[in-house]
Amino acid sequence: MSELASKSHAELMRIERDIARRHIGKFPWLAVTWALTNLTVWLSLWPLVLMGIIPLWIGFIIATLNVMLSYLPSHEAQHDIIALPGARLRWLNELVGHLSTIPLVLPYRVAKLTHLEHHKHANDPALDPDHGTSARGPLHAIWKSILNRQPGNKNAYGDTLVRIGRPDVALDFIAYELIFYGTLFTLAWTGFALEAALLWWLPRHIALTYIQYYLSWAPHHPATEQGRYRNTRSFRSILGNIGSMGMQYHVIHHLHPRIPLYRTPKAYWEMKPVLEARGARVDEL
Amino acid sequence: MAIALRTLFRFGPLIFAFGFLAPLIAQIIEALEVTPPFGLAPLTVGLVLAGVLGLAAQLRGRWV
Repeated sequence: MSELASKSHAELMRIERDIARRHIGKFPWLAVTWALTNLTVWLSLWPLVLMGIIPLWIGFIIATLNVMLSYLPSHEAQHDIIALPGARLRWLNELVGHLSTIPLVLPYRVAKLTHLEHHKHANDPALDPDHGTSARGPLHAIWKSILNRQPGNKNAYGDTLVRIGRPDVALDFIAYELIFYGTLFTLAWTGFALEAALLWWLPRHIALTYIQYYLSWAPHHPATEQGRYRNTRSFRSILGNIGSMGMQYHVIHHLHPRIPLYRTPKAYWEMKPVLEARGARVDEL
Repeated sequence: MAIALRTLFRFGPLIFAFGFLAPLIAQIIEALEVTPPFGLAPLTVGLVLAGVLGLAAQLRGRWV
């Protein structure tokens, strides 16, 4: 580190970019397989449970895992990691983006536009659409996640879409909501309320809390600083890197968003001396 | 269309209560084989409970 501390801004940036470049451009088979398998399993649960082939409680556990796992492949697509615009496999990038978050009832275009704003304005109370997840500690973060979903709350994503001049994309959100609640109501009034609650409604709430905790709150806590090397951090999760969905190395994602999720740990350890020289928040891991 | 959607979202808690919670409560009662008091049908209990919860959420702007 002492050797790096004497290097100029330009030299440090060159070293950082050289490391990042080694991890960018690899086709993320994991994200593609993950997205399609996860959605297939979740969709399969419906006939399997409704026909009594597997019990509802097992379906509930699997569905909860499915919805929890549904966001990250779309996140890879939001950053064009599967294929850049104009590339031969661009259709696959967009397909994964659209399909994977169906169980979460989160439209791809809404997720992408608001997430890119989060990257641009991370931790800015007025402009970061995810700043509402900031909280004093773990339990408060869980409570804030639940409170943010209450009907009287302002919709930060809707406000962001209006601010960036894309209110049209809010129609995706309205369509998803109508389909989601329409499906729940239809199932409930035709005798399948428990199945609807335990295969979709409750898993979605659990997953939203989990995702907001690990993807938004934990990597940015205490969410008070802005700037490239200070707006996020590395951290040690009690559930490990897999249990926290790879978020222990989130600092790498904010610095180089096109590095696939599965390569962020390796990139982090290679880049850590540079990050320390930059004063990044990497002391926990 | 916009007015219809705004109305729909404005009364979201009450719509959710009668659209989903009422039959859910009724089916939980049936699954647990609980006999409702005063000879009430499970769906009646569901409608009453969901109506109270939904109205409270509608007025307070929050379920919890």
